Amino acid sequence: MPREAEPSINERAFVLQALEENIRLDGRALDAFRDIDISFGDDYGVADVQLGKTRVLTRISASIAAPYPDRKFDGVFTIATELSPLASPAFEVGRQSDLETHLSRILETTLRRSQAISTESLCLVAGQKVWSLRADIHILSHCGNLVTAASLATLAALRQYRIPDTSIKGGELTVYTPLERDPVPLALLHHPLCITLNYFENGEKMIVDATLQEQQCSEGEVVVAANPQGEVCLVQKGGGGEVDALVLLRAVDVAVGKVRELGKVVDRALEKDSKMRDKGGISAELSAENER
Amino acid sequence: MASKTLVLPGGTISPDILPNPTNPNLLLKLGPGLRHVPPSTITSTVAGLLCIDQKKNAIWVENNSGRYIPQPNDLIIATVHHSSTDFYSCSITPHTTFAQLPQLAFEGATKKTRPQLNSGSLIYARVLTASKHTDPEIVCYNPSTGKSEGMGELKGGMVFNISMGMARRLLMAKQREDGGIAVLEEIAEKVAFEVAVGRNGKVWVKSGGVKETLLVGRALQEADVQGLGVEEQVRLVRKMIRQV
Repeated sequence: MPREAEPSINERAFVLQALEENIRLDGRALDAFRDIDISFGDDYGVADVQLGKTRVLTRISASIAAPYPDRKFDGVFTIATELSPLASPAFEVGRQSDLETHLSRILETTLRRSQAISTESLCLVAGQKVWSLRADIHILSHCGNLVTAASLATLAALRQYRIPDTSIKGGELTVYTPLERDPVPLALLHHPLCITLNYFENGEKMIVDATLQEQQCSEGEVVVAANPQGEVCLVQKGGGGEVDALVLLRAVDVAVGKVRELGKVVDRALEKDSKMRDKGGISAELSAENER
Repeated sequence: MASKTLVLPGGTISPDILPNPTNPNLLLKLGPGLRHVPPSTITSTVAGLLCIDQKKNAIWVENNSGRYIPQPNDLIIATVHHSSTDFYSCSITPHTTFAQLPQLAFEGATKKTRPQLNSGSLIYARVLTASKHTDPEIVCYNPSTGKSEGMGELKGGMVFNISMGMARRLLMAKQREDGGIAVLEEIAEKVAFEVAVGRNGKVWVKSGGVKETLLVGRALQEADVQGLGVEEQVRLVRKMIRQV
């Protein structure tokens, strides 16, 4: 039966010994990220994030639905995570694992509860029609730090997504195709990201962006979500050994710095993508002239 | 000496390149990656290098596949998962079922002197039997001589993952000539270390300190991932040694 590859006693001892000497197995500094690569699909709202060997793909889609009866002015935003067996032998089809719940709850708190997406802006006709926005997160390869990779992919996809333009005339709703009117970006109020910190030696040592092996050897992890403005959206420490309050404060400081760093990476990726999509206005697009 | 040709899945192997043994009674042996379609067609099922051994009248396809499937006589590095009355259940890869390691399958082990392995211990073992329908059985000694021949519990050190092709090349008798690997020989000139290569894509390294152990492991992984030739490997190792 497939299962998670548990590190052996030797591996565990070696990882801890190396960390004691401030060495990480891949030669990174304790607070360094692995290589981050963000790419977008041909359609709007598909982001593929590679964080070292961890790979997450998020797809945003929108459909029109009826709002919840008690929230007539709010659109719907759902996050669905999918941990397929191709990512790790520990993942099974059709069974919701703890990791899956953990992941979607953290992302939900980070994005929805912090009001990063204003659900009111998704309302079309009060009480009747709203946009139902859905983020499907696919874990393609699991090599540690899924939370950061998933939050990067989801934020990048949300920021890149364009929702169809609509208008209401005489109580009648019209949804325009991309040919009739350019789709519009989503109303995002701020851009939060999650950072995972794993701690060792009773919280004395913190590392950022742990690989799966480091994660398995660590005493516990703290997830901090914040936006580049330095506003903390979530601090979560589920299980693991106890840590000092000051350690948590330090973790938040480190995380905010890292969020700024990652925010810039997302900005750069989006800029590159928009440059690639921009063909130079409608006249350039309609022109039959081509480079010979 | 084996000669090599590139084959693709579904391609037929031309009868001209089949080995010509001096002994006409010797049957042709088909190794991994080949399929016999009666009466006399041989097709390859994977892409890779077709290797031909004239002396043994054997042909097989070598490719860098991703998943390890236990084969008899393979040397592997496994982790003890749990122990039952007579067997240790060991994990070879996370995908396969547990392999059974009899508690007496060690050099000179008797009921009273058998080694005590905890869950999570690393062992270097040989696959005794492996089939599709039963759990593989592994042993830590050579049944014909009763000697351990380097197998047994691996103490200390660190395990690194490498590709299966790399593991096979490392296990060749002439690493530099046949396998095209110079990493270990180069490092050995400067740093002393112990190494055990598992056919399941794992290599165990033990050296004086963390830095030295990491040097060996990372040099192997780099050479593997980047697909370096002998010259480039030598350059890589020199650069890495200078950094340490």
